[in-house]
Amino acid sequence: MAAEDEALERTAAFETVGGFPLPSGPRLDREPYRWQSVVLLGPALLLLLGLFVVPALYAFYLGFTNLNLLGATATHFQFTGSANLKTLIHDSTFFGSLSTTGVFALGSVIGAVVVGMLLALALRTGSRIVGVVAGGIVVVCWMMPAVSAAFAWYATTTGGGTVASLLGSPNLDVLASSPLLVVVVANIWSQVGFVMVVFGAGLRNIPLEVLEAARMESATAWQSFWRITLPIMRPLVTTTVIIVLLLSLANFSLIYIMTQGGPGTATDILPIYSYQQGFTFDNLAYGALVGDALVVCATVIALIYVRASRVKV
Amino acid sequence: MAQELTQPKIRKAVELTSPTGRQSPGAGKRTKAVLISNIGLVLFGAAFLLPLLWLVLASVDSQASFALKIPHITLGNFRQALANGGTDALLNSLVLALVATLLSTTAASLAAYALVRHRIPWKGPFLLFVLFLTAIPMSILIIPVYEMYVTLGWLSIVPSAVFLAVTSLPYEIWLLKNYIEALPEELEEAARVENASTSQILLRIVLPLALPGIGAAAIFGFVNAWGSFIVPLVLISSSSQTTGPVAIFNFLAASDIHYGDLAAFSLLYSIPIFLIYLGMSRLFVGGFVLRGAMKG
Repeated sequence: MAAEDEALERTAAFETVGGFPLPSGPRLDREPYRWQSVVLLGPALLLLLGLFVVPALYAFYLGFTNLNLLGATATHFQFTGSANLKTLIHDSTFFGSLSTTGVFALGSVIGAVVVGMLLALALRTGSRIVGVVAGGIVVVCWMMPAVSAAFAWYATTTGGGTVASLLGSPNLDVLASSPLLVVVVANIWSQVGFVMVVFGAGLRNIPLEVLEAARMESATAWQSFWRITLPIMRPLVTTTVIIVLLLSLANFSLIYIMTQGGPGTATDILPIYSYQQGFTFDNLAYGALVGDALVVCATVIALIYVRASRVKV
Repeated sequence: MAQELTQPKIRKAVELTSPTGRQSPGAGKRTKAVLISNIGLVLFGAAFLLPLLWLVLASVDSQASFALKIPHITLGNFRQALANGGTDALLNSLVLALVATLLSTTAASLAAYALVRHRIPWKGPFLLFVLFLTAIPMSILIIPVYEMYVTLGWLSIVPSAVFLAVTSLPYEIWLLKNYIEALPEELEEAARVENASTSQILLRIVLPLALPGIGAAAIFGFVNAWGSFIVPLVLISSSSQTTGPVAIFNFLAASDIHYGDLAAFSLLYSIPIFLIYLGMSRLFVGGFVLRGAMKG
């Protein structure tokens, strides 16, 4: 009886198109949606929604309020419209900080990419033992947690430190006399290992026949680098540049430990200025607005990164 | 990967077709290139070593200062560093990092599996969004997250770990997505034919196969949380929950800096990371994945 019903249902489920029966019901030519997907994706979606999407939107709202860290407006803050924005436009410290951020990030990227590439190339042609030792040191510098690296660099470059004694004048304080240069060098120091490893892997993927062919045509090393190696590695160089750029743009630990943005505002990059406005000067809303500027910069660069990665999903 | 495997063969082929390649006209040029490379490596290596050298020497020097000098050897600095709240700070860092790792790696593994094997609406755009997030340094959201946590009364170690988990989540999803994609699907299909449930398939088949990938994701999550400074600095209010990096900052801000103790503590705090990477390089000899290395 039940079997007959089922058979009847099945015939009823057939529609006819141009005289041919067409099965309705679930399509069999592609996988159906599964309820398990919701369970599997749930935790990740919840985390990203709650602690990325919501704070990102909240940051923009907070930027337009009078929220303070302490006092009455710490709990009862209001929407104040464009008041903070007006302050921001006339805030010369903010624009100073913006340009410091640019110098810091660009200096770090150029330094890290050039030194990283030189090291990757040298590792390929140099002797094995020298390479293992020098490459090992550079990789250790990269792995070093940011705060330890910052402390080591602070000690090395401050008055009476290693750099001063090497240059023969113990009272020389390079961290105070050229702070931006020192933090850029320290940042390069801590990023080069990454660049070197990535470029090293990229260099290994360049077919040897191509380089061999160039050598047969008596191309110089200089020529084969610019005409062969670099063009082949261009996508890798682009993505590496963007990653180092974003990591430098959002750097907080290194500079905050070494100089706390000072002396004066010499190394006051945006993440530090935002933090200080919020947590040192009590002005959380304004700190959030400064942070928003950073979010916008990072978003634009990250979108370029997604494009440059050319992934197929 | 495939290219790396064929590389030795190509090398051999090149050597076979030009057996005298190394000694012929370019030989002098070649030794010159090796020499220049070695000199460059030695110079850079030495320059990179300098800050580390001070750290190591000061940590075992009973009269440490900022100057680079021969140490009066002692292990007292390490003892001191651990006695003055250092042990607690390292344990707090461990709790923070472990909670963050557990949460992010679990969430990322499950999501990555669903993204690879299931049909999901808007899968493409979502994956692009995840890739976009891997490039966003999420610590820039510290002020709104702080404000949320204040409102919720969450300024302590476990909620901080949850935020740190989110900061490493996108990259872990991406890494595991790539890893699971490369796994053969036949075993899962066979299990499904035998009526295994989804949870059985995940635990008995996918988990063991994906373990190296999950390990790599976990290492990334751990290193990320262990090294974070601004997140525990802002999101943890109780001084008894101070983590390693915040302790270093506090030591450095103190009126009398004990250089030796601080150097010793910085090393103790850094060593787990070195050990993890060392273990990792043993585990994943060859085609391993470093941050960004497989993004290109």
